[in-house]
Amino acid sequence: MSVSNLLENWSKFRHTHPVGDKGHPDWEAYPSEIKWAMSIDLDACTGCNACSVACYAENNLPVVGKEKYSHGQAMHWMRIERYWDEDKREVPNQGAQFLPMLCQQCEAAPCETVCPVGATNHTEDGLNSQIYNRCIGSRYCSANCPYKVRYFNWYDYPTTENVWPAPMEQQLNPDLTVRGKGVMEKCTFCKQRTYTARNNAKTEGRKIHDGDVQTACQQACPTNAISFGNLFDPESRVAKQWEQQQVELIKEEQEKDVKPGNNLRGYRIFEELRPYPSVMYLERVRESDV
Amino acid sequence: MGKDIREDIAWAHINQDVLKSLENPRPLFWVIVFVALMMFGVGVGCEVYQYQMGMGVAGLNNPNVWGLYIATFIFWIGMSHSGTLLSAILHLMHADWRKPIYRFAEAMTTFSLMTAGLFVMVHLGRLWQFYYAVPYPNERWTWPNFQSPLLWDAMAIFTYLSSSVIFLYVGSIPDFAICRDNIHPGWRKNLYTLLALGWEGTDRQWRNFRVTYLTVACFLIPLAVSVHSIVASDFAMSQQPGWHVTSFPPYFVAGALYSGCAAIITLFIILRYVFKFEEYMTMPILKKTVRLTFAIAMVWTYLNLIEFASVWYSHDEVAKAVLIDKATGRFAPFWWAMNFCGSVVPFTMMVKRWQTSIPIMFAVSLLLNLGMWLERWMIVTPTFSHGYYPWTMDTHYWPSLVQWGIVFGSFGWFTLLFMVFCKIVPSVSMYEVKEMVYHRSLATKKAELGLEGGH
Amino acid sequence: MIENGFNRRDFLKVLGWGGTAVALSGCGNTSIENGKETVVSYVEPTDYQIPSIGVYYNSTCAQCDAGCNIEGRVREGRVLKLEGNPASSINRGKMCGLGQAGVQAHYNPDRVTEPLLRAGTTTENITWEKALATINDKLNGLKGEEIAFLTGGVSGHVKVLLKNYLDVLGSKNHYAYEAVSPAVVRASNKKAYGVEMPRLHLDKAKVIVSFGADFLGAWVSPVHFSQQYAQFRKGNRPEGRGVLVQIESKMTLTGANADRWIPIRPGTEGILAMGIINALGVGVPADVAAAARDYTTDRVSKDTGVSAEQILGLTELLKARSPSLVLAGSAAEGYSHGSQNAAAIALLNQVLGNVGKTMDAPANVQFAQLTPTTGNSLALNDLNDVMAMGKLKVLFSYGVNPVYTAPDCLKLKDNLNKVPFKVALAHYLDETAMEADLVLPLDSALEDWGSSVPEYMPEPQLSIQQPLMENLYPNTRGVGDILLALLKQRHADQYKAYEDFYSYLRGAFVQNKAALGGAGADDDAFWNETLGKAMVKLPGTAGSLSGKPTVAGLSLPATKASEGAYPLRLIPSVSPSQRDGRHANLSWLQESPDPLTTVVWDSWVEIHPKTAAKLGIVEGDIVEVTSLSGSIKSQAYLFPGIHPDAVSMPLGYGHEAMGRYAKGTGANVFKILDPLFDKETGELAINETNVRISKTGKRVVIVKEEGPNGGSQLGRPKIAVKVSSDKVDLSKEV
Repeated sequence: MSVSNLLENWSKFRHTHPVGDKGHPDWEAYPSEIKWAMSIDLDACTGCNACSVACYAENNLPVVGKEKYSHGQAMHWMRIERYWDEDKREVPNQGAQFLPMLCQQCEAAPCETVCPVGATNHTEDGLNSQIYNRCIGSRYCSANCPYKVRYFNWYDYPTTENVWPAPMEQQLNPDLTVRGKGVMEKCTFCKQRTYTARNNAKTEGRKIHDGDVQTACQQACPTNAISFGNLFDPESRVAKQWEQQQVELIKEEQEKDVKPGNNLRGYRIFEELRPYPSVMYLERVRESDV
Repeated sequence: MGKDIREDIAWAHINQDVLKSLENPRPLFWVIVFVALMMFGVGVGCEVYQYQMGMGVAGLNNPNVWGLYIATFIFWIGMSHSGTLLSAILHLMHADWRKPIYRFAEAMTTFSLMTAGLFVMVHLGRLWQFYYAVPYPNERWTWPNFQSPLLWDAMAIFTYLSSSVIFLYVGSIPDFAICRDNIHPGWRKNLYTLLALGWEGTDRQWRNFRVTYLTVACFLIPLAVSVHSIVASDFAMSQQPGWHVTSFPPYFVAGALYSGCAAIITLFIILRYVFKFEEYMTMPILKKTVRLTFAIAMVWTYLNLIEFASVWYSHDEVAKAVLIDKATGRFAPFWWAMNFCGSVVPFTMMVKRWQTSIPIMFAVSLLLNLGMWLERWMIVTPTFSHGYYPWTMDTHYWPSLVQWGIVFGSFGWFTLLFMVFCKIVPSVSMYEVKEMVYHRSLATKKAELGLEGGH
Repeated sequence: MIENGFNRRDFLKVLGWGGTAVALSGCGNTSIENGKETVVSYVEPTDYQIPSIGVYYNSTCAQCDAGCNIEGRVREGRVLKLEGNPASSINRGKMCGLGQAGVQAHYNPDRVTEPLLRAGTTTENITWEKALATINDKLNGLKGEEIAFLTGGVSGHVKVLLKNYLDVLGSKNHYAYEAVSPAVVRASNKKAYGVEMPRLHLDKAKVIVSFGADFLGAWVSPVHFSQQYAQFRKGNRPEGRGVLVQIESKMTLTGANADRWIPIRPGTEGILAMGIINALGVGVPADVAAAARDYTTDRVSKDTGVSAEQILGLTELLKARSPSLVLAGSAAEGYSHGSQNAAAIALLNQVLGNVGKTMDAPANVQFAQLTPTTGNSLALNDLNDVMAMGKLKVLFSYGVNPVYTAPDCLKLKDNLNKVPFKVALAHYLDETAMEADLVLPLDSALEDWGSSVPEYMPEPQLSIQQPLMENLYPNTRGVGDILLALLKQRHADQYKAYEDFYSYLRGAFVQNKAALGGAGADDDAFWNETLGKAMVKLPGTAGSLSGKPTVAGLSLPATKASEGAYPLRLIPSVSPSQRDGRHANLSWLQESPDPLTTVVWDSWVEIHPKTAAKLGIVEGDIVEVTSLSGSIKSQAYLFPGIHPDAVSMPLGYGHEAMGRYAKGTGANVFKILDPLFDKETGELAINETNVRISKTGKRVVIVKEEGPNGGSQLGRPKIAVKVSSDKVDLSKEV
């Protein structure tokens, strides 16, 4: 520890915004070739919950049981929301609307700045990381998350009865931890998978290709509604979709919002709050003339 | 208005009266201590259970990640402001009447800060790792996040706590010397000898003491303002509807002074009764305190209305929805109770006759503090229950008994500390009361002389 | 080889290749016959088990009958996660939540781990030797008709062994029972198109009109159809973006995704189909037109509760956009005139000329022994009658839980007790296993060998199920192994070459490798490659559908006035994850919210808000649902997606046994179904039961994912956004 350490710009450890942030003083020091992003086509999403169950399987999510669920203590990183049209009809005439909601991995994440111990940070591949070891459980991140997609370990689930009764613990994925009580957790974009894919690519001396990595939800999704990949790679499906929908990461208002009649359907939730989410949704389309 | 204090109290009499409060506890004292211990025990039991089981037993959930703990934390922090107001600000303003009551007000500051600090701890999901929030040098160079208002909070509270302890201590040195000189030999005498730091009342000591006291007082005032502004930042710096309000810092500071003054009235009345301090804690002083409280109540009411108005006219539909929810939703009874207690009840303080009525003022001060506690709860909870995201709103949320138990226990803890304080530190500043009496008598004499022929 | 009267044809039959000309490779002195070859373990620890590296093994999902091909991630000898096999033509690398939970079935804490023998009230753990000997004892001296097997749908080599065993016992009593099956639609498809399950091309249709076929949720092969659906919704395919119209009384997951969801009076689906045929006018064959003449739009509208405007609009849509696809699903078939409904709907499909365009025939698979025997509910009725007469002495059950799924009115439990010896091949101690005298613990689907042919498959294939890890418990056995052991008791000579089911299966594949695409390959190489893929293409011949509409025998009853003591129609719903209740003990599925109501860990009664208001019911009221056959209690959930004349409850809840997660969770709707059957097929008319709803005075807070705002977005501008198709240009989308 020296005075120079103390005077260093600590915020850089949190503040690498790879896209459109080249003016950032630390861009040179911390360049990145990867910005993970997602797009979810609500038109394809059928609300079947496969992604959510896949997430439980992949990410060691505890099943909390009826009582804790009733207290709002469920741990689903990926939750499917079901909305009805609010057109005052007696019966809905266009079905329901489904919205898979997961951590939006914001570029200017409201959760990151408020954590007192810096347990949630921005990684250089554009994710909000959550360092379970560092978390002290102040829950400020969740308080400041507009999407409420952070889930707190209200109990010590590994030792709670009927969460992982033997031999169910054998199913736990050893690539990531099982979280104990008192820490915050949330969707990681399947960090263990992206990490492996990056390592493999590095070993093979190449860049990450689209398709090298799939998140668990994406892999399960029966309708391919979810695409995930590197927004920096112009060949990736995600980059193409963002490009085509003219959605830009560091913007709180997109072409679609400013130009009426533009035939676009890509949007991000709560863009106006400027968290710059990494998840783009594509509007659900329903036939106009039936 | 009557005199703040009689000018003919003998100094020895003052010593005797005040030192009496340090001796031979009456049965009532033990009853209070016992009740406080019981209450504290309930809180400790709840905390042990919560520590073992996890925060879930507090009934917290997603989205209600903060509950009574944070609300009560703000409440106690607020309570701490009165001590500073009375001792530091009024000291600088040479408001003499503060002298008999500032000591216990300062003690209140210290103890409520200590209580507030407990709530931060109780609230943590991993209490055993709380030191991660402390910027201590370590080989991995991991630092806390200096961007986080919560960290500012921790630092502000810690600074404020240490400064108020110093302020309390420095202000008590001459009194410790009196205790040392008057108390029977024994461990207490040794303790006072130690605490008095060799005070002899020499001219040089007095001069140094005055400078030090003034310096600490000056240092404390901005701290007091900053501490609650920073607590307000916890909310105002966030993006959440109902919190993202720029007027929050002054609003919080006003609320803090308000609840602190109300608490002073409560304790004033209790101490006056328990220790028979009628000579020192006189009706005119109560009256002044009540008037001060009323003024602060009006400031608070004004800022409260500003908050509503700025939300209402902001075109921020989400924040507006939270406000409407506060007034009509699940927590509406509490919200209206808060407004009633905070803005309507103080008008009783306008009635001159009631200003000096012990039972009425006692009841009013308790109601005001209830209102202030409700205010904090109404700041924290409705925003969680009715936040941005419609899907995750949770209007069924109700704090569990564990939360209530810990809140309940905190009052026991505070009382306990205060009771111990009363028996160790003179709760009325003897030397300043003497000063006050001296100045009074001097003034009386001057007046008499003037009457007899002037200069 | 012709020794012990065991000839070549029998040999083929033993291995499941009977009924076709098979060029057996290496017939003669093969390794199979001496049975002494060293079987190389499928897991070669030194090569494949790299600590911390997950290795994927292909297998087949056994969670439902769709038979998706999967790959399981195995690390350090444990299977961790299942994914879809990208090479599969069924699920193309995708997987549903039910399938994902397969690992939980495997690692379930409530599995049966030891053979159990019940004598009176005591239960004891016994050895397999004793268990098998007991079965042998009990079977000795019995006539074939005194023995019966009750199973779910079976296919592949387990089916072969089962058939062989029954043959050996001289029994013809194989009852294939599925509590929830498209049996009526199968029958009507058979009539209309000549095949039970035609291949659908949702992705080629411009319009899909589905009469209650929940193809995205729980119907036939949901993952496969979901993929087709995704294509169907693409704006950039030549047909343009497809339009989905769902007609049903209770909104299913598919209905929730429809462009137009039309609530119809329960049971009148056929009338609406006829009404549309009538409204089509041109292009309808004369005899059909004549049959449909009475179904004027006004009358149909009156009967079905669908407005005339909507009927005509739908007709116009179908006229304007061809090809379309009209499907009949469980919502239309579950009535006593279900066959008629399904026939009318098939007729509409034929009249629209969709046969051959969006629907064609599945290939005929050569190996009839392996093709699936699909289950239906008639089988249980038949078995029940036989049991009631006291004719059965020994009953085997496998893959079914009739004590749970049978309506109370069948008195199945009483009849079951008339069978002196009941053997349950069980995964859990479920309701049926609790009644059994002998419980044989089964391997999980991730421990067991097997082969299967799905009922619905785009291309004929034989899927292999292979163990993804060692047995968790030493004393569980695969169903194939059990059958083989039982067969050996009777015909030791024919089966002596097969030490276990694995060697049987391997033998079967290797013997017929020429037909399975491995002609000329080395046995080991062929087998290893087959296992690597865990599926082989089966030779098949193209089939054809009969496209000619026929109206013979079509009669649709006028709707019953729904008055009286039981004014509401009970529509039991099949949830995508619970199905008929066999997966109720998987905690992920219990905690996975129902897609439409978002309720977890309990059952519920869906009531339209209008009906609820009439009855004074609010959300969370515990209501009693009473039919002629019984009553159950559950929490009321006000749900807009249901016809006001109907109430709905999910199947699969309310277990009395089975395990910690299933037991006592919710109420069992099967119990209160009335004994009403489809007139043609004899299937239980699952939607025909009428009920009344009464409040009990108790109220609970429903445990659900949905918050207090229900499905409202409170006017927040951008959360879940829907856009009308004329406002977007989908043709250029990536």
